[in-house]
Amino acid sequence: MSFLAKVFIYPVNSLILADLVERFGHKPLTIMNQVREKVTNISLDSPPINITPEDPKIGLRYAAIEVPAGVRGRMALIGPLIEETEAAIIVENPPTNFGCVGCNRTNELMKYLVRSKGVPVLEVKYPEFDEEAHDFVNKIATFLESLPKEKPEEDEKAKEKEPAEKEDKK
Amino acid sequence: MSTEDSGLVKIALVSCGSEYAGVQPEFEAAASKVNAKFVYPEIDIASIDTIGRDFGLEVASGDLRLMMARAKAVVEGTTSVDGVFITTCFRCAEGAIVRNEVRRYIHKHSKIPVISYSFTESTSAATLLTRLEALTTIARHRHLLAREVQTGLTAGIDSGSTTTKAVVMRDNKIIGKGWVPTTKVLESAEEAYSLALKEAGVSREEVQALGTTGYGRFLVGNHLKAQLIQEEITVNSKGAVYLANKQKGPATVIDIGGMDNKAISVEDGIPGMFTMGGICAGASGRFFEMISKRLGIDITELGALAVKGIHENVSMNSYCIVFGTQSLVNSLAKGATPEDVAAAACYSVVEQIYEQQLQEVDVKEPLILVGGSSLIAGVPKALGQLLKIDVLVPENSHMIGAVGAALLASGFVEG
Amino acid sequence: MAETKKEEITKYIVISSDKVLPSDASMKIYESEFPVTVKETCFGLIVTGAKEDVQAVVEKIRQLDKNHIFVKDRGFPAGDQRRCRASRGGGPRPGFHFLREEVKMLPAIGAALDELEAKECVKEKCKEKSKLKISDLEKVIEEELAR
Repeated sequence: MSFLAKVFIYPVNSLILADLVERFGHKPLTIMNQVREKVTNISLDSPPINITPEDPKIGLRYAAIEVPAGVRGRMALIGPLIEETEAAIIVENPPTNFGCVGCNRTNELMKYLVRSKGVPVLEVKYPEFDEEAHDFVNKIATFLESLPKEKPEEDEKAKEKEPAEKEDKK
Repeated sequence: MSTEDSGLVKIALVSCGSEYAGVQPEFEAAASKVNAKFVYPEIDIASIDTIGRDFGLEVASGDLRLMMARAKAVVEGTTSVDGVFITTCFRCAEGAIVRNEVRRYIHKHSKIPVISYSFTESTSAATLLTRLEALTTIARHRHLLAREVQTGLTAGIDSGSTTTKAVVMRDNKIIGKGWVPTTKVLESAEEAYSLALKEAGVSREEVQALGTTGYGRFLVGNHLKAQLIQEEITVNSKGAVYLANKQKGPATVIDIGGMDNKAISVEDGIPGMFTMGGICAGASGRFFEMISKRLGIDITELGALAVKGIHENVSMNSYCIVFGTQSLVNSLAKGATPEDVAAAACYSVVEQIYEQQLQEVDVKEPLILVGGSSLIAGVPKALGQLLKIDVLVPENSHMIGAVGAALLASGFVEG
Repeated sequence: MAETKKEEITKYIVISSDKVLPSDASMKIYESEFPVTVKETCFGLIVTGAKEDVQAVVEKIRQLDKNHIFVKDRGFPAGDQRRCRASRGGGPRPGFHFLREEVKMLPAIGAALDELEAKECVKEKCKEKSKLKISDLEKVIEEELAR
């Protein structure tokens, strides 16, 4: 499956958003994939999600030392997604959420970082009843269809190379 | 932890951020050391939307609302637990508000022991161990803690970071005491214990039960085959209300030790909320030692000097053991009297305790001041001035840990 | 990098369909003989296995009722001890609550997708009919330039 744009979604674990993005042919950037990378890394043993005290240090890239460790640890998961972001869908007032998005300070920070990236961002309200859901889906569909359909090949190749280089550095 | 076998204790973990700060494994490690297991109270998801209103505290973060809902589940008994550990990220204001209010809420509406703590990514299992040990002891040994009278012939050893204390008690009376500086943990314990035994005029073999507490409790306890090896929160609470004869009802115990301080809110001799500070030497007995040295006096003379001084006459720029001492030395150079400097040193310590530790503990009278520093008369005076309440310093207040251990150990005397 | 395990993925298939039951979907997977692990849950299925297999299986299931079957990735493999309710000591895993909220919204999302699809069909038909002639196109261009 070849994807078009890498789309950041907020909430970062949303089923509906991840599904819609993929349905319309793009790649959702989700927290689940980040978590997977962590939990299937057999060289770590720091249950439940293998976040170690090193992660809040990685988070220093996105937030200063005076920002609580929990925010920086979450940013260590979410920050790399923001770096890859080519477009974003941000849902306002989603239902109460826990876990990695259970900290509102982290949410404020991640949304700010995405908005200040200068990529296309769609801000929609979380639907509360059926009619709103139609509007919600339409807006998202229109937005996703408006995103660049194809990427220059060279660009793609360069992007593919990047992660490999990063790992070499480590 | 008592040496008698003890069952698994269920502790509700009411937290925000611990899984993401990398400290969760440290929590688990500390819990398993005291044979405790964390559980996550079941909640009704619908209650999350209204919990802010129900609780009266509306916050934006979902995990903090979850904390309130979990606290409610514990109080209402939908989840049965033996203790609660409330924890959020250090430096998070929203988290600190919820942590404190949730702690108060559980304390007010149930008899379940609670401790609270704020963590950074560097928080280690060792830091948490004493706290969890105290929590599990309260959960396991309420019956042991209910003891109000010492019986038989028992002894207690408090192996502290700076000094080692030992007492021998018989039929509710202290009959022998030993107090020596801690050099090598075991040797100092042997020395203090021998002194106490000698004064009491009894032999080791006659002692029916021994309890140990303090930093070196495990080493000393195992070496001397103690019946009770117990952390100092529990032991000192018990010892303080016993010595002050305030065993019933509420009390607040402040213990200024050689290296760290404890502020414990006690109800019927059982510790409830407590804080432990061990971050800054400027609020410890060590600070008094340094000041005494600079004033060219023995530490035992510092208190009497401080009582005669006026702390306002000396300006201190820092609580720090280095910079604070420098301020005091500068004041001396500018002509301040040693009395005023001694008073300022005492005030500096209690002010720091007030700002950093008492904020999380409900200060209820009587306020019992214990630990070696309580013998420095300027300290209770400064604390009384600051809190505007009378401070009680019981006799033998520096022996608090050893007395508490001897008292609790008598629960192991047969017959 | 050579870790083959890295390519194992897990997907959540949430079924909000009148036509397909989670049990039908899991039967379909068993029949398909793809070497994947399937776990039925109250919302649908959790499928774990090699990336290509999972993607193929998921696509197959989605096609059973494509506007009413939703898919997302899951970090933890199915039945992982670290997230399992029983071994965690009660209380569901963090993502559970939000998923439950979203599941409530799925019938409406599905209906919206149906509607969108219907519109797309109409649009496509229209397009077929109204292919512009060169002369018409010229007209349009002139009009646009005149604006």
